[in-house]
Amino acid sequence: MRHFWLELRKNKVLFLMILPTLLFFAVFAYFPMVGVYYAFTSYSFEGGLFGSEFIGLKNFEFLFESGVLWNLTKNTILYNLAFIFIGNILQLICAIFLSELPGKWFKKTTQSVMFLPFFVSFVLVGAFVFNLFSVNNGVVNTMLEQLGLPPYDFYLHTAPWKYIIVFFQVWKGLGYGTVIYLAAIMSISDEYHEAAKIDGANIFQRVRYIVLPMLVPTFILLILLALGGILKGQFDLFYQIIGNNGMLFESTDIIDTYVYRSLAVNFDIGMGTAAGLYQSVFGFILVVTVNAIIRKTREDYALF
Amino acid sequence: MYNKRTKVSYFLTALLLLAVFLSACTNKANEGSNPKGEASPSSGNAGGPSGKPDTSKKVELVWYLLGDPHPDTEKVVAEWNKMLEKELNTTVKLNFTSWNDWQTKYNLLLTSGEKIDMIFASTWADYYKFASQGAFMPLDELLPVYAPETWSKVPKQDWVEATVKGKIYAVPATYPEYTPDGLVYREDWRKELGLPEITDLDSLEAYLDGVKKAKPDVTPINGKAWNEAYTLFKAYHGYEQIGGDSGVVVARSYDTPRDIIAYPFTDEFEAWVKRMKTWADKGFWTSDSLSSQKEAGDAIRTGNGAVYWRNAPGAGGFIVGLKETNPEIEMGYFPFTRFHHYAMPTLSVNNAMAIPKSAANPERSLMVLDKLRNDPKHYDLMTYGIEGTHYSIAEDGKSIVPPASAKNNKDWKKYDIASWGWRIESNSREKQASGWEGFDKLLEEFKSISKPNIFAPVLLDYKPVKSQQAAVNQVFQQYGQPLMMGLVPDVDKALEVFRKQLKAAGVDDIVEYVKTEANKHFDEKGIN
Repeated sequence: MRHFWLELRKNKVLFLMILPTLLFFAVFAYFPMVGVYYAFTSYSFEGGLFGSEFIGLKNFEFLFESGVLWNLTKNTILYNLAFIFIGNILQLICAIFLSELPGKWFKKTTQSVMFLPFFVSFVLVGAFVFNLFSVNNGVVNTMLEQLGLPPYDFYLHTAPWKYIIVFFQVWKGLGYGTVIYLAAIMSISDEYHEAAKIDGANIFQRVRYIVLPMLVPTFILLILLALGGILKGQFDLFYQIIGNNGMLFESTDIIDTYVYRSLAVNFDIGMGTAAGLYQSVFGFILVVTVNAIIRKTREDYALF
Repeated sequence: MYNKRTKVSYFLTALLLLAVFLSACTNKANEGSNPKGEASPSSGNAGGPSGKPDTSKKVELVWYLLGDPHPDTEKVVAEWNKMLEKELNTTVKLNFTSWNDWQTKYNLLLTSGEKIDMIFASTWADYYKFASQGAFMPLDELLPVYAPETWSKVPKQDWVEATVKGKIYAVPATYPEYTPDGLVYREDWRKELGLPEITDLDSLEAYLDGVKKAKPDVTPINGKAWNEAYTLFKAYHGYEQIGGDSGVVVARSYDTPRDIIAYPFTDEFEAWVKRMKTWADKGFWTSDSLSSQKEAGDAIRTGNGAVYWRNAPGAGGFIVGLKETNPEIEMGYFPFTRFHHYAMPTLSVNNAMAIPKSAANPERSLMVLDKLRNDPKHYDLMTYGIEGTHYSIAEDGKSIVPPASAKNNKDWKKYDIASWGWRIESNSREKQASGWEGFDKLLEEFKSISKPNIFAPVLLDYKPVKSQQAAVNQVFQQYGQPLMMGLVPDVDKALEVFRKQLKAAGVDDIVEYVKTEANKHFDEKGIN
């Protein structure tokens, strides 16, 4: 304890500087966690948070009762893995391309154009999708018709939606991720490249032996951060594109949308919190596990 | 180096713990002050020497309505606040939920404990459920003191209908209505194509078929067709939902209220979904209907839709509105009451104003409501807007017409907010159904076949079966809706899956629960 006060006095200013951050997390991340208790109570308006009846794990039942939890979890994880890996790899490739492009003007323009979808709200994406794939006036079906092909009822088949959803998610995040990788590439010292050039390495060799190895830490960091949210589906994306169309749920339903629909009709704060807690705990375990694996193999890259 | 790091982490942990404790304490303090609000009314500022409530303290109230404001609502409320400030030393901040996701927002407003002094309440917004869960404040003692005029003027039966577990939790609007479901349709096309008059399901099918065949560019129900298909289904079979929305659990008919079933297991349901499959295949609605965000009514305006679901007053509003924008279109209306020849009036609490438990100033809020309901100056302003800008009094001195400034003004919009919670028929300057001339006859028809609404007041909060209910809702949306819209490739298989999933989700428990509660209620009221 003595050490603690000593430490505090010695580095007053430093601690003062970190205080706002600590307060921020305390107020916005840690304090609200008290609400987790909702997951174990039967909410009543008189009781509020701590006065409501404690009912143990009953709120979690609805997740298991329907027997769909496994399918939902699987969908959520697979979609997220697709988002994370396809997304990151494409971002990496784009970043390398951009960094090797010579013209500054062209480079900046491309970068901005790629970034734009990031600002498009999912509500609009949902509208795009409907207008692309709807039966009567959809762009795709109009084109098929022009080519003399029979129309395709997108909304009656579940198969195409996996790809549509992954495509739009990747499309939307591409510019943002590219910028992160581009920044990492820019921080690689020119000396490496020059040395490699003198040794006669061509552009592919330089990318393979200099850029890619130098980007591994960034890649792992981004993947780790993304894995934490692997059970948190992109609710906006799925909800805006699929909405309440039960026809498509089989291959497009994720935990978030399931929970939303279950509770939208019979709003129950206890059950909602229970589902959120399930997602968080699962995500937490996942991050810790993946991090442990990375620490075992490449300690420097581990998050903590 | 290593040592230093551990020390820092000790410190961080300590600080975090401290923060958590501190915030937990403040939370407790807040909770403690909560009940005070409800205890004070009877003792606090109840009776001054003159017997009039004390309004010496200036108060700002927060009110919530459903739906969206009118562009001029801010101006209107500012006008109103001037009057209120003079008369009651009060101002009101009027908020709206907007129609988008209103149910979720409404639920959240009540559960989050936001300080709200008055909120719209209704049977279709789960009034009975929220009241029995204790989301609203009981008003029995407050009403005679703070809203005496309302207390004496509202009919006794209306208060009875607002009573939950022996207490009144809302002030019902005094505006008796019939709001049966039905379909508005292009009557001019029916005449043009020589199709039969719509009197039953077969003639309706013939109409839809005739329109689709003669006009290939038209999709009869163009947009989201779920409401049309679902209300038609319920009304055609005469299934009655119990205690608000009870999902797939219904009373088999009005005359057998105790015969409570889950309709997907009936033979009628099987026949129905087979018929709907033929409807969908004929193109009465599009295959993307469940994903569409378009209202079928908008397609009627643009000339590529023919049918739209509306309740009777809503149909009037739609038809009158269409006359303004598309005078060439002639619409007809087919109320579903004609399937079984009875109509139930709405309960008084179909539209009402309630005070959430969290209210800071329930007394003042009731005083404002009393004024709003009974003082025509307040009532007209908040219901119809500002005279001269939004309306003018007609020659008869009672009804209203668009003001002179509205002529040739494309931007003019009738003042229209969800003012239903304080509506009173005697103060109303508008006829029901927005003055649609066909409505009087329809109202006569409804009155002649009127039967009391015995199903809505059954109190159901689904507490013992809430996980089953959540699961069943889910199954219904995933398997039931596509099936009932005829969008599945193989009806028999889809029906089997739907039934199996419902069983697995625990639909039987819900039927049992609803049966028990409904029978209790029917015993109490002597309904057989």
